Amino acid sequence: MSARNAILARLKSPPPLAAEAAALLDTPERPAVDATNLESEFLARLALPSVNASHDVIASLTDLPAAIARYLHAENEPLTLCCPPDPRLAPCDWSAFTLHANAAPDETATLAIARLGIAETGSLIFETSPTAPMLPNFLTLHHIVLLPVAAIAAHLEDAPLPGPQPRAHYWITGVSGTTDIEGTYVRGAHGPRYLHVILLRGGILPVT
Amino acid sequence: MSDFTTPSFLNRADAALADPILKIAVERTAGTAEAKRAIAIDAFPDFEAARTRAAAIKDHVIAHLGPYLEQFEASAIAAGAQVHWAQTADEACQIVMNICKAAGAKSVARSKSMLGEEIGLPHALEEAGIGRVETDLAEHIIQLADERPSHIIWPAMHKTREQVSALFKAKHRTPHEEETIAAMAQSARRELRAKMLGADVGISGANFLIADTGAVCTVTNEGNAELSLVPPRVHIVTAGIEKIVPSMPHAIPMLRMLARSATGAALTQYTTFYTGPRRSGDRDGPEEMHIVLVDNGRTKMREEGLADMLRCIRCGACMNHCVVFRQIGGHAYGGTYPGPMGAVLTPALDGLASNRDLAHACTLNGKCQEVCPVKIPLPTLLKGWREKSWREGLEPTSMRAGLGLWAWVATRPALYRLGTGLAIRAIRLLGRKGWIASLPLAGGWTRYRDLPKPAAQSFMTQYQREQRK
Amino acid sequence: MTRNVALFVTCLVDIMRPRIGFAAIRALEAAGCEVVVPQGQTCCGQPALNSGDRDHAVALAKQTIAALEPYEAIVVPSGSCAGTIRCHYPELFEQDATWLPRAQAVAAKTFEVMAYLDEVCGWKPDGVRLPATATYHDSCSGLRELGIKAQPRRLLNAIDGLSMSPLSGAETCCGFGGTFCVKYPAISNAIVGEKAAAIDATGANLLLAGDLGCLMNMAGKLHRDGSKVRAFHAIELIAGMGDGPAIGEEA
Repeated sequence: MSARNAILARLKSPPPLAAEAAALLDTPERPAVDATNLESEFLARLALPSVNASHDVIASLTDLPAAIARYLHAENEPLTLCCPPDPRLAPCDWSAFTLHANAAPDETATLAIARLGIAETGSLIFETSPTAPMLPNFLTLHHIVLLPVAAIAAHLEDAPLPGPQPRAHYWITGVSGTTDIEGTYVRGAHGPRYLHVILLRGGILPVT
Repeated sequence: MSDFTTPSFLNRADAALADPILKIAVERTAGTAEAKRAIAIDAFPDFEAARTRAAAIKDHVIAHLGPYLEQFEASAIAAGAQVHWAQTADEACQIVMNICKAAGAKSVARSKSMLGEEIGLPHALEEAGIGRVETDLAEHIIQLADERPSHIIWPAMHKTREQVSALFKAKHRTPHEEETIAAMAQSARRELRAKMLGADVGISGANFLIADTGAVCTVTNEGNAELSLVPPRVHIVTAGIEKIVPSMPHAIPMLRMLARSATGAALTQYTTFYTGPRRSGDRDGPEEMHIVLVDNGRTKMREEGLADMLRCIRCGACMNHCVVFRQIGGHAYGGTYPGPMGAVLTPALDGLASNRDLAHACTLNGKCQEVCPVKIPLPTLLKGWREKSWREGLEPTSMRAGLGLWAWVATRPALYRLGTGLAIRAIRLLGRKGWIASLPLAGGWTRYRDLPKPAAQSFMTQYQREQRK
Repeated sequence: MTRNVALFVTCLVDIMRPRIGFAAIRALEAAGCEVVVPQGQTCCGQPALNSGDRDHAVALAKQTIAALEPYEAIVVPSGSCAGTIRCHYPELFEQDATWLPRAQAVAAKTFEVMAYLDEVCGWKPDGVRLPATATYHDSCSGLRELGIKAQPRRLLNAIDGLSMSPLSGAETCCGFGGTFCVKYPAISNAIVGEKAAAIDATGANLLLAGDLGCLMNMAGKLHRDGSKVRAFHAIELIAGMGDGPAIGEEA
């Protein structure tokens, strides 16, 4: 008998009832979020020591390059940016920047667009696609994330995508950190040491 | 030396107790974790109801584990992953080695997984001559020190910053100069970055397996999982079969409990759901994804009264709050998993005969059960092992005889009164000024503490005399 | 209304410190109870139960159930023995159709003494005076199996002149653990050593708790370490017997 059949033979049971599984999700216990004020709820979580992210606000997408330049200047970093090949960024004027699509092993700054922000935790929700690589978001020292205010949802339950799943669906909640030495928190363990969220308040992103 | 215990556990415990550095190290990490968890739980509404829900989700899965595993398998295959099944640790390692061999792997990047430790993956890779890069900071420390993890969340919790500093200075190419924990972490970052990116295969465990999508969920705070699993050509997942949840929404209440119970955070920094290999047009991600579903005693646990233990989500709260763990650390337990959850799991994984001490080295104070996010009745399960050990004749003869004699007398109240009267008189002879500093047959007590002298007459004797008045 | 209660003395109180049993009787009588001490009792069987010796645990449980079941309520001056009867007897007889209902019936009417006085009788000490500073350790079984936390503190608060100094780690196990303390003496010692230091750090002159096993462990360690802290079962103070000899003091 194959290992598969041997294991399954010991685990025979009637199939689970969908209703029973669904009932397990009724009215979950979760931190309260003021649904009428998602932006400030989200920003409050973003600023928690455990999340440790900074933020900026822009009125329109065309303001994005200037906001990134502002941030990189403040951080004493050059205007060099690993930028995803996302057509939604087309309206931006990147003439002040040196852009590249593939991240270097010691990449300094990377831009990404989050599909959602989650107010409950200050999480940013991403999926991989041909226009959204994953690795640059982990290699970079400064992770700069564009998030439309309209894309802030209340709870983690709002994060999953229905239907067929992308190769990777991932939630980023703060900077790379570790407490592996004496339980002491240190930022920038392996991934980004800095997370900077740029909220797009006016308008919405063009659809890809 | 007590005759109630097997020397190996006692020796390890004694060595741990004699190590003042270990005590400091454990206290620093577990103490911090305990305090942070308390703050997180206080801030979480209705934590008790959330525990009940988390336990119910896992119970539901464990009751229907077979169908859910088949659903997971079908979904993962549909997403392009290859699914393998292993009944034992050896089978699991063999499957992983075969995949590595087929991929021509010279080096693998490992993202910390307790299942990997449980099945002996580090050792198997070494045997196969495949280079291994441990990417979790603590596992990296353990690898450099050639040791074993002492905690499931903080594998290097037994090491102080001073010890880590010395280790990095000896082993890193460009070690830190400043004596801070931040500088040490940077030293590891420099050391590991290139090695991670150069690996042929990335190996991880799974915090959750999502039945309806075939996704594998990992959580880390360092981001080392993603850096280990995205660049290599092959991603191998080794996961215990109990890691299933019906859907991603079912993982969410579990994730809320896991982070809060482990580190006191609302969520881990990085939570990733991997569904199959790289898609057409994707700019990164592995070409192959393999998922090895490992039983290694879990079906047996389910059949033999340990189904509750399969709820465990490996948060480590039980050990952080265990008075025994806090004194002896993780290595003294001698298994892959330390602390209360380890004391339940190790006899199931490695056999009861050589691990019977683990069930006894517990005060049954119930704190572990109180903090468990999935309400595992750990003290009850430990008592279950004690009972099995007694039934199978593994308990020491002196213990069996002593308890047998006492129970024989105690079930005969008149004889018991006579016996206690005599015992009181005998014991009182050894006392001075109310206290006994040394009592034969009770050296375990009087070696470290004084024993109050019993009263001149038992309660029952005094009470009956009063009643007759 | 007079409540008729049976006192289950516990083997440890019977042998080591009978005045805890007498204190329980005194407090219960002050609360309007009529107290009897059933003669068929010895030990609840906890040592056998916790050692895995199921057969002897069952034998002792049956003896205890038979001795206690005729009474309206059973009161125990120990959280861990009361917990054994309340929580573990029904588990022991889960598969025994004859004994399960008897075990459940006894379990349902068994109470830890301070919980009984506070919650069932709604009683408080009246006119008890003891000028002292005390600290309270929450013994694990009482705390986690029976939810005993506020009851002893409410009763102690009614003692005139007694001030309470909170114990850091009051809910942390003292390292007694029944046979644990003699099977793993060095580990137990390390745990109780920290407990004793925490007790000393409160500056209290009295250590109180609701379980004699834990008290003997802590008092024995404090005495060995040369501490001046004196230990009592809380019911002794509540019954107005806090002016007598502490644990380990000659009468």
